Amino acid sequence: MGKNAPPTIESSAIDALAVPSAAPRYVLRLYIVGFTSRAARAISNIRKICEEHLEGRYDLDIVDIAQHPALAGGEQIIAVPTLVKKSPLPIRRFIGDMSHTEHILLGLDLRAAAEQHALTTKS
Amino acid sequence: MNSSLKLTLLAENVDLRARLETAEETLRAIGGGEVDALVVESVAGPQVYTLQGLDAETSRSRDDMLAHVSDAVIAVDNEDRIIYFNAAAELLYGVTASAALGQTRSKIHETSWPHPDDEAAARNTLRERGEWRGEKIHITQDGRKLNVESSITVPRRIAGQPAGLLAVIRNVTERTKHEEKIRASEMRYRRLFEAARDGILVVDPHTRKIIDANPFMTQMLGYPHDQLVGKELFEIGLFKDQAASQEMVRQLTREKEVRYENLPLESLDGQHQEVEIVANLYDENALPVIQFNIRDITERKRSEEHVKLLIAEVNHRAKNLLALVQAVTQLTSKYGDPVTFAARLADRIDALAAGQDLLVKSQWQGVELSDLVVAQLAHFEDLIGTRVLIEGPRVRLTTAAAQGIGMALHELATNAAKYGALSNPRGEVRIAWQISTAATPAFLMSWLEEGGPKVTEPTGKGFGQIVIGRMAQAAINGIAETTFRESGLAWHLSAPVENALVLTEMGTTDEFAYRRLC
Repeated sequence: MGKNAPPTIESSAIDALAVPSAAPRYVLRLYIVGFTSRAARAISNIRKICEEHLEGRYDLDIVDIAQHPALAGGEQIIAVPTLVKKSPLPIRRFIGDMSHTEHILLGLDLRAAAEQHALTTKS
Repeated sequence: MNSSLKLTLLAENVDLRARLETAEETLRAIGGGEVDALVVESVAGPQVYTLQGLDAETSRSRDDMLAHVSDAVIAVDNEDRIIYFNAAAELLYGVTASAALGQTRSKIHETSWPHPDDEAAARNTLRERGEWRGEKIHITQDGRKLNVESSITVPRRIAGQPAGLLAVIRNVTERTKHEEKIRASEMRYRRLFEAARDGILVVDPHTRKIIDANPFMTQMLGYPHDQLVGKELFEIGLFKDQAASQEMVRQLTREKEVRYENLPLESLDGQHQEVEIVANLYDENALPVIQFNIRDITERKRSEEHVKLLIAEVNHRAKNLLALVQAVTQLTSKYGDPVTFAARLADRIDALAAGQDLLVKSQWQGVELSDLVVAQLAHFEDLIGTRVLIEGPRVRLTTAAAQGIGMALHELATNAAKYGALSNPRGEVRIAWQISTAATPAFLMSWLEEGGPKVTEPTGKGFGQIVIGRMAQAAINGIAETTFRESGLAWHLSAPVENALVLTEMGTTDEFAYRRLC
């Protein structure tokens, strides 16, 4: 491949997978089923994470599949509550009440930012 | 292996790792009791299988019910984050449950309290009793101002710790607006009731007792409000006895509105005043009441009487004037040249009209003599002060005197212009009047001509002489004298003061406030 040749579709996809932009906008969707204490905890926890680490650059939709079961179709939802990170790629899924903050920050590629945030807060 | 295949395998590897992580996470979550339900894809679409037993079923059925209630239901956790937002709440605040869940309440609406202390009071009540109910104002994200009635409870966990808040919110904006309208309307009509310049009584048709009265009514009757309430109508003289009062109610029941003219109203001090009453029967909260609007017509009656008198007086005066015109017409036609009849008659009627104008201006309260002289000598206005000299105190002639003297002045002036002192360039006329200071005061007036052509006494009496003689005498019941001096005509008029002048309250005319126009 020549030095100045345009990137192929595949290489763009790989670049997208490998090199996320500096401050991408997160599109998240939380699937719950009704008014349960787990759902409440999941909503509360994920909002808190978003507000602390993604302030102003996230869209969080909460979908109650008890009321809208069809919305779970095609999303490979196996268990609820499930949080789906739709953007930036790759798509990631988190199951449970979202109480494992470290695990979620890691999965959302926010751990470095979280550490930076922790340092800033401490200083 | 070429690079394209390598990349594809790498991507597949990433995907498989992700799936594996998801599967492991799912197992971990299920094992850790963090999952509410499993979702299985089927031909008919995703099927949701809940993992809990009866409790979850109960929870779901409660959830279904809450989703269908018409009031907004919002639950928040201990950090005030929304964990439940039903369909009615979506509708009320214009926010989807998806957007609202997990947010703090302040992101959905701002809260405004009717009074500054209400918020602290509500928090206290919630803390002490675990529930609070009341009204407040929610301002939505799109700026709508909602009056809401909230019922808030503090749900408890099994161990007793508070688990956030559960709020049931009813939109009462329309009701509040309606209530505000009613309040404003009540205030408006209350002000009308209290400020009315008619008396208003509200009466119970069953007992015929007064149940309310406006301030003007209490003022008319002289009773304090609390003494008036509870009285029967006949006790304030409106109806002569109970039977008459009962008959009024019967008539009102049939006709709904009854009008009474000239009923006597008796005040606390026993005085009677003429009143006009309009009674209406209507329902107030499904109970009949009678409203009496009572107007004091004493002034109106007096005014009507006055108008009647005025009409009679105007009629009388018009007849007098017509009689005078008739006499002038007859005499004008009897004496003088028929060729000049129309012109002479018109002149004389003008003279009458000039006097009439002055009378109307003073509302028939007499005429200032100086004004009358000037009006009758209007043709000689330029000579006043030079060849026509006027001198006399300020006096007011009676209506009859004004008419008689006015006509006489007109004839004298016409004669002077044709044959006397004003018919040449040198002659003078001196018009003077005074009130004699004798024991019985008399009104004295004179017209003296000098410097005109030599005067000879006419052989016969013409209309002019009748006017300055008999007519003038009759008008003041006095004496008129005409002397044909060689140097000029002299006319003297005298009468008791009261015959000619309007006397002031002091018993006489203004004292010798001589007004010299010359």
